[in-house]
Order: sequence, then C-alpha cells, then structure tokens
Amino acid sequence: MHHLTKITAYILIIFVAISINFALPRMMPGDPITSLTDDPTTGMPVIMDEDIKEEIRSYYGLDKPISEQYTDYLKDILKCDLGWSIYYNAPVAEVIFERLKWTLLLVGTSTLIYMILGIFLGAVSAWKRGERGDLGLLVSVLSIGSFPSFFLAMLFIILFGVKLDIFPIFGATTPFMEYSSTFDAFKDVLYHLILPASTLVLTSIDGPYLLMRNSMLGVLGEDYIVTARAKGLTEWAILKDHAIKNALLPITTVIAIRMGFMISGAIFVETVFAYPGIGKLLYDAVSFSDYPLLQGAFLIITLIIIAANFIADMTYLYLDPRVKHG
Amino acid sequence: MRGALKSGNVFCKNRIGVTGLGILSVFILTAIFAPFLAPYDPCEMFEPMAPPDSQHVLGTNDIGQDIWSELIYASRISLFIAFTTSIIATFIGTLSGLFSGYYERFGFFVMRVVDLFLALPRLPLIIILAVFMPTSIWNLIIIFVLFGWPITTRIIRSEVLTLRTRPYIDSERMMGAGDLYILGRHILPNIFPLVVVQFVMEARHVILAEAGLSFLGLGDPTSKSWGMMLHYAFEYPTIFISEVWKWWMLPPGLCIVVVILALVFVGFALEEILNPRLRREIV
Amino acid sequence: MRKLLVFLMLAALLASGFAGMPAAAEDKKVLKIEGGDYGYPSPFTFYSRGPGYIRMSLIFDTLTWKDDEEIIPWLAKSWKSENGGTKWTLYLEDDVRWHDGEPLTADDVKFTYEYIKDHSGSPLFKWFSVLNYMDHVEAPNDRTVVVTLTDPLPSFLTDFAGCIPIIPEHIWKDVSDPTRFTDPEAVIGSGPFKLAEYNKAEGYYLYEANEDYFKGVPLVDELILLEVGDPALALSAGEIDEASFWGSEIDAVETFEADPNFEVISGPSFWVLKTIFNCEKYPTNIPDFRRAIAYGIDRGEIIDQVVHGGAIVANTGILHPDSSWYMPGLPDYAKNDAVANQLLDDLGFIDTDGDGIREYPSGEDLEFELLTGDRFAREAELIQEQLEAIGIKTTVKAMSTKTLDAILKEGNFYIAVSGHGGIANPNLLETPNWPGDTYHNDTYDSIFLEQETEMNHAKRKDLVNQLQKTIANDLPVYTLYHPLIWSVYNPDKLDRWFYTLNGVATGIPIEMNKLIFFARFGDANEDGDIDMRDVTKIARMICWLDPETDAADANRDDKLNVLDIIYTELIILGRV
Repeated sequence: MHHLTKITAYILIIFVAISINFALPRMMPGDPITSLTDDPTTGMPVIMDEDIKEEIRSYYGLDKPISEQYTDYLKDILKCDLGWSIYYNAPVAEVIFERLKWTLLLVGTSTLIYMILGIFLGAVSAWKRGERGDLGLLVSVLSIGSFPSFFLAMLFIILFGVKLDIFPIFGATTPFMEYSSTFDAFKDVLYHLILPASTLVLTSIDGPYLLMRNSMLGVLGEDYIVTARAKGLTEWAILKDHAIKNALLPITTVIAIRMGFMISGAIFVETVFAYPGIGKLLYDAVSFSDYPLLQGAFLIITLIIIAANFIADMTYLYLDPRVKHG
Repeated sequence: MRGALKSGNVFCKNRIGVTGLGILSVFILTAIFAPFLAPYDPCEMFEPMAPPDSQHVLGTNDIGQDIWSELIYASRISLFIAFTTSIIATFIGTLSGLFSGYYERFGFFVMRVVDLFLALPRLPLIIILAVFMPTSIWNLIIIFVLFGWPITTRIIRSEVLTLRTRPYIDSERMMGAGDLYILGRHILPNIFPLVVVQFVMEARHVILAEAGLSFLGLGDPTSKSWGMMLHYAFEYPTIFISEVWKWWMLPPGLCIVVVILALVFVGFALEEILNPRLRREIV
Repeated sequence: MRKLLVFLMLAALLASGFAGMPAAAEDKKVLKIEGGDYGYPSPFTFYSRGPGYIRMSLIFDTLTWKDDEEIIPWLAKSWKSENGGTKWTLYLEDDVRWHDGEPLTADDVKFTYEYIKDHSGSPLFKWFSVLNYMDHVEAPNDRTVVVTLTDPLPSFLTDFAGCIPIIPEHIWKDVSDPTRFTDPEAVIGSGPFKLAEYNKAEGYYLYEANEDYFKGVPLVDELILLEVGDPALALSAGEIDEASFWGSEIDAVETFEADPNFEVISGPSFWVLKTIFNCEKYPTNIPDFRRAIAYGIDRGEIIDQVVHGGAIVANTGILHPDSSWYMPGLPDYAKNDAVANQLLDDLGFIDTDGDGIREYPSGEDLEFELLTGDRFAREAELIQEQLEAIGIKTTVKAMSTKTLDAILKEGNFYIAVSGHGGIANPNLLETPNWPGDTYHNDTYDSIFLEQETEMNHAKRKDLVNQLQKTIANDLPVYTLYHPLIWSVYNPDKLDRWFYTLNGVATGIPIEMNKLIFFARFGDANEDGDIDMRDVTKIARMICWLDPETDAADANRDDKLNVLDIIYTELIILGRV
C-alpha cells in the first residue's frame, strides 16, 4: 500500500515539474525569435518584417493558444519528442542525449569516488574519535568542502593546467585524436576527466564523511559493540562486522539523494572546464533564450533527480527492517 | 530558555564552534565598520589593473577600483543577503513547522507543498528564476527564501511531532492551556537550538548559492559581492595567463571559503551539542 | 588530509604518464582555430550568427566575394547590370565542380535562388531575405545567370550575389524541409573545404582541403575549429593557432604583442555601444535635454577606464569610421558640463532644493532608471557618475540582453545603454534607436527609403550622409564607442589573416574570410621597404605549397644575413 501512495506522489511531482517547465520559459520576457544582438563579433541586428516573424512563429508553433501549446507539449513528451532547439537547430532530445553521457560519466565517476572515499575517511575518523587524527581529518574535510566548486575548479586550472601543465584545461576529449586502440581512447577520456571529477569529489566529500562519522559514532556506542568488545573481538573485526554494516544503511539512500546536488555542482564545474555536459548546456540555453532547449534540459535534470529520489525511497523500504515490519 | 542557555555553555567548551564563531564575528564586524576599514570608496576609480603596491594593497580591478576596499564592502552584500535570507526562511520554516507539527490537517497540507519543493532540483530552478526576474539583491533574496524554508519546516515539524506526545504537554493541555501558550511556552524553547542550526545551515547555503549565481553572471552586476568579484575576475581575458589571479581572484574566493567554513564549524558544533538523533546530512 | 594528498599525487602521476601521448599525424598542415558549436554548416542549419555563416562559407561559395579592398569575382567571373539596376547578368567560371564531382552550372544558381525564396519560413531566411527583391531568375545557358529584381538594389553585388550560398540542385531538389536535412549530402558544396567531422556536443569542426578547388589548393590540409574554455590560455598553450579578442580584452592582446611567437592584427568591429533615448516620453523627447546628457557624458573616460583603450570614440551618426558610408565631421558633443548645465537650466530643470539633483518645473526630482544589459553594467555605472555631476540622478538597472530588448521594443524606458553590430551598412539606419522604435521623423524616413533604391553611388552616399547628420543633431541615440577587434595568430601556421572590407558577406566582422587560405604574393611587402620580413614571408608562402621545406628555418636568428638570403633564394629557385 505504502508503495502505491509513494508512486502516486512521484507521478504528481513529475506532472508538476512538467507544468512548471512549460510555464516558466513562457513567462520569461523577450521574444525567442528576435535575433541575438549582444555579441559584438557576431551580433548584427536584423530588422525582420512582421510577415517573416509570423512565419517563423508558426513554424515553431508559437502562435497557437497557450492551452493548445500545453496539450501539444504533453503529447510530445510522451512521444519522447522534446521539441526543436531554436539555437542549435536540432531536435532537443538529440542535443541533450549527446551531452548527457558526459554528465553521467562525470557525475557517476565522482559519485563513486567520493562515496567510497567519504565512507572510508568517515569510518577512520570515527574509529580514531577524539584523537588528533580525527580532528585533523574533520577540519580538512570540512575546509575542502567549504570551497565553492567553481572556485576550486579555477584554482585547479591555474595550478594543474597552467603552472604544472600536466592536465588538459578544457573539453572531454582531445579533438580529432586518432586513437590507436580503445585503451588509448579510454586514457584520453580519463585524462580529461581527472580535474573536473576531482573538483566534484573534493567539494562533495564532506556529506558522506560526516554522515559516516556520525553513524559510526552512534553505532560504536551501542550495546552490542560493547558486548563484542567484551567478548575480545579485535577492533577490525568489530568495525567490519558490526559498525560499518549498520552505518551503511543511511548512506545508501544518501547516494541517490545527493544526485541532485551533484548535478547542480556539475553546472559550475562543466562551465569552468568547458566540459560538454548537460549542466553547461542548461547554462548555454539560458543565455541563448532557447525555450525548447531550456525546457528539455531542465526536464531531463528534474527527471533524473526525481528518479534518484524514487530509487532511494524504494531502496530504503527494502533495506530498513523497521520500515518493512512496521 | 534554560535549555538554550545550557547549550550555550557547552558551546563555549567546543573548540571548533568557538573558532567558527570567532571568524564569523570578524567578518560581521568588518561588514558593519566597512566605511572605516576600507581605505577608499569601492566605486572610486583609479588606474585600472594596477598590481598591488603601497597605495592599493591588492591592486585595482578592471575598471580601476581598489580591490581591498571592494573586498571589505563585499562582505556587507554577501553577509546581508545570507543573513536576511536565513532569518526570513528560518522564520517561515519555524512557524510553518511549528503549526504543521501541532495541527495535523494543516500539517498534511504543508508537507505536500514541502515535498514538492524538496523534490524539485533547487539550483536549476533558481537559475531559471534568476534569468526570469530582473537581477537585484531583493529578487535574489526572494528566490533563496522561496527554496530555503521547506527544509526547515520539515525538520522543525518532525521535532514538534515528538515533543507533542510528551506527557507534560498532555497534562498542560488537560489543565486547559491554550495551543498558542503551549507552543510558545513549551515547544518553542525546546526547538530553539534546532532553529539556530537551521539558520546557520541556511546562511551557508545562501552564501554558496549567491556566489554561484553571481559567478554564472546571473547576479546583480552593479552590486559588490564576492561572487560578483569572482565573476569579473573570471571574465578577465588574461586571468589564467598572468599573475592577476593572485590578488584579484584568490582573495574573494578565500573569503567565501572562510565564511562558509566558519558557518560549518558553528553548525557542526551545535549539532554535536544537540541530541545526536538530530544529526543529519549537511546539504 | 594525508589521504587526499596521496590521492591527488597519484592522480598527478597517472596524468603525467599520459603527457607523452601521440599527437595528430605531423606530415599534414593542420590549422586550429578557436571556435565552438555554430551548427551543422549547411546553408539551412548553421546557427543564426556570424560564425555560423563563416563555417558554412568554407563549404559553399557565392557568386561574388570580398577581400580587404573590394568586391572580387568568385563563382561569377564577370557581370553587368542593366535597366537601372533591376537586371543583373552574371557569367560563371568555366570549370567548377561540386565536392561529389558533378559540374556546377547556371541551373544550380537558378535553382538555389528559387529554392531559398520558396523556403522563406526557415529561421535562417533573414540572412537571405534580400531575395524578396527578386522578381525572377533565368539561366539562358550553362554559364549565364540573369536575375531580374522588382526594385533597383544598389547593394546587389554584396548583399545578394555576395551573400547567398549556391547549393547543388541534384541534392536539394527533393528535400522538402531543408532546416532538418542534415545528411552528409547536405554539406556537399563547391567551396575550398569539405566537412570531415562535426561534433555538436563538443563544438568541433574538422574540415579537409578540397584538392580540386577552382581557385587552387588551400594552404592547409586540415582546418580544425574547436571550443576552448579560455582562448588566451589555449592560445598561449599552443592548443590553438588563432583566436580573436575585442574591446577590453586588449589586455590579453598586449601580452601576445610582446610575445615573438605571435602576431596581431587589428580591425573594426562594426559594432557600437549607444545610449538610447525614448523619444516618445517626457523629458527624453526634448532634443535639448538629450543634447545636455550627451555633453554630460565623457566618452573618452569610458573608453580609458572600462575598455582600457580597446575602443574608439563612436561616430555620432552610428556608422563605423571604417565603413565606406561613414560621414566624418559630425558634432561629437565633447564633455562639457557648463554647456550641459546651461541647456538644462534653459529647459527649466533647476535644483531648487539644493540636494544636488535638479527638479522638474513641477518640483519632482529629475531621476531615471538607466537600463543596461549585464555586460555593460560597468559602462552604465560610469555614466551614472558623470550624469550626477550635471544634476541628473540615475539608477543603473542591469538585466539580460533579451529582457532589455523586450523592454526597449515596448518603449517602457527613458534611457538605456545597449549595443549592436552591423554598422558598416546603411540599412541599419532604418530605426536609429534600435531595438527601440521611438524616433519618428517623416523627412528622415523618406530619405531612408530614397537611398534604398538609389543606384547612383554618389547620390546615395549623399542621402546616407543626410541620415547620419540628422541622427547626430537630433540624437535619438548618443553613440558611445566602437570596440576594436584583434586577431592573434601563430604566423608559422598561417600568415594570411586580414579583415574584410565592410565585413565578410553582409558585414560579419570576422577575420576568417576563406581567402586567407590562398597565397597572395602582393601582400608580402606591406610597408614599402624590402626587408627580411618580406623575404621570409614570401618563402613561407611558397613553403606552404611545398610541405617538404620549412620556411621558418630561413631566419632562425631573426637577423638578416647572407645565409638567410641564399637559403630563401634556393627555395625560390627550387620552385622555378
């Protein structure tokens, strides 16, 4: 029963997201067909007569009544047709999916690393609680987590890209590289991934670290740990069998919940590193006033985050014995 | 209020918390006394792009404004936006949390709205709204408040739900105490430390978000905030190939880092002191 | 923290292992230019901006083209006009082939003009809307095209013949929606390059030279356009061989000027930043009020302080001084607070309550919002300060350019600061305070219409002068500055960069004219003196055609000596 309510709630949220998505760009000022004029090397005012404007408007269906535009929009979404990007002059879905893979790669890799690293450091910190190692780790992690991702990204470009010159400073691959093997291609992608991914990892690591540290501290104080210790089990055995296992439960849900946070962080990191992902696309769409693209990018990001939340909810239902029995 | 006072005492013994509070006080004092601390009016223009010297400790920016004075005045805008937003968002969040925890039907309705807000991706929505509204400090504050209150509501409400079932509340009610009396007299003092934590966390989030939006060029370009300073520095064509970044990009960036860190320290210490049950992930 | 450091160091080690990765094959001449995604380069799918057109123009040719001085023959080797400029006959080059080997004929040209006109609903039609002037087009034989216009079109050779790309009939005749036709055939043109690869997401273009091009083989085998995060950084790191800069980016240009590995050329941007007045609302509808503001603004200070000298004071008649339509000697309203104050006093705007702000005769403060786009907030702030000195209070309100344009079109403003390009061309004078449209002057409008169809150049120029003079006197806008633009390039890779007369095609102020890919010996001697630069330049030009030798060797020590001359001569003799 609980599942059903949850699913209904999620469908409602998706519906609201789609409606906001439809309404917001239309409330924005400015006519999407007006020529762009703010770029001095390229901007040329084109004075269009009303006939041409009308034709272009009808070409994009912007002349229909709002209600009709709305139903058309819903129908198209069901068909996975997100419209036609005015700026990129291509199907929105195509533009987005081309870039989605880079964001998923960036966010996926970073999530994997920062979770493992965060859990590990959090466990170490909890185990050494009160000692100097714990305090040092705590302060370090909190400090690095206080860096805005774009600021850290800029520092990385200066330090590793310019001063040391060991990492590429933009893009996801070396353009037009002819790879001799798949391994070479893999290396190239990895090479471009290191700086953006490190930025995301370092600025997000405080979440799982603190959570793990706190859960572990809670678990370590529980009776059965004390019992285990009394039974003469080694510290590592206690940690492995009891403490970590129990502390992992809340962590699993956090992974999914933090997806939204990671994708938001990707907007900044991708912008600074000119990484061709969906975050940079969203920003570009905003600056070009490309309604369909903006809607599409926003919708896809929203759906990913909602899906992540949904998975988190479901996982929690299955994993947490209290919820199951109660 | 005794609970709050007691936590205050414990707080003083917490090294991390005291450090954070100390740093924060320095910045707040800087913001208040900016006109006395800054050597120049931050809008006054000198020779552009002058490197640091005795006249301009951190040089001048792209239109010749003294970066040191700019940095000092920027603490005003950054902290003003952060604290104003947090006060309003925490206020709304606390009130709605109190009532929605105490009155079930009202709570059900509020929580659906909260669920909706929390399910939507915060930053992408803020970006779109920031584009839609003309850029000004007050519009930024409105946007941040709009997305800041639901988290507080949810946390306060769950705490009120547990407090409500306490025996002494029941006995008060049986003795004929009014709802407002119970809320104000018994529940509010108990959740007050939690409200402080929320306030600190929200301030941290807003500082980060304001810096981020300004950096993306969606802030108010005429305001002087650390994020806006970073935006102009990042836009400057030779920021990466000359030494300018050392005195133009690094100081505002570090200010943001240090203020956030101070807020995190304070929040962390408060959470340590409060019931461990209340610990949650810092978002 | 130690763990993090170890992680970082491992990552660094891992990366240094990659540093020695093989680069692209060395035997090809590859030129890399800063760019970004501007759409699939077919005439119907490039993004509606200058760089999009340029990317398309490398693949598709037009009947005429422009160099830095004049209109030159391209697909058409000669032409004539009759009937007062309404009938144009153009004679095509003899042996031009499409990339797929099919011959390019007059039928293709006729098809192109008709086809594009038939698809006027396409979003890119505004680039070719001059086709609305076309009555009909004929192809009396294989090599002759006759275009008949409804009205005389003085700019036919540049805006019509020099702008509309010719497309192959055999490919496009069955395409019903050209804007969605992105098959590989859509980029079969006749131009100097073929598209080898295009990656929309990463903003990369790879072009290969068209070996059979009718104007000769291009100087580079491969041309790469790629998106970089920071052009100055990418250029100094050698990731790209050319990038362009404008306005306040002069600071970056100066660093490259000091660097012997780079050369810099400067050109006009045909772009203007202007103060736009609402000529429908009181008090900005009073010409003397607008003049007072003009006297209050110090354009020189704006250029020095905000643009760091990377701009020139604008022509008050809008058109750029490097445009052939420019009228010199218009009033420039040099900063003069005394004149400004006198004008305001005469209008009855006097500070009666002594707060430093003038009041309307009705007693309210003379106070406005100064609207501006996000990018020009700094200019607006300086203007705010300058106007305060003459007792006018303004508050800068910055917004996105889109929002600003919308407000200006609605006419819901008093004063705004905004800019636009395209000011090489008198067409632009149609609405002088564009994107606003609040200036109404019947005489002005009739002069504008008259010049549009005036075929006599001297007469037309006189009419355009009258338009500029009216703007400068009436001030519906007060122009502020024209930014300079620069191209910074590595001369060892390609040394032929120049800025096109009045901009590429209809006025795109971009240095990437396809002519740069072809050698022109006359250019070697720019200053009239024969010196080492000229010799190496000639040698380099020759060597580009001969990849075996490397011209840079001729002058390794940058001093002219006998060895260099002998070496250069050897190269030249080797070719003869």
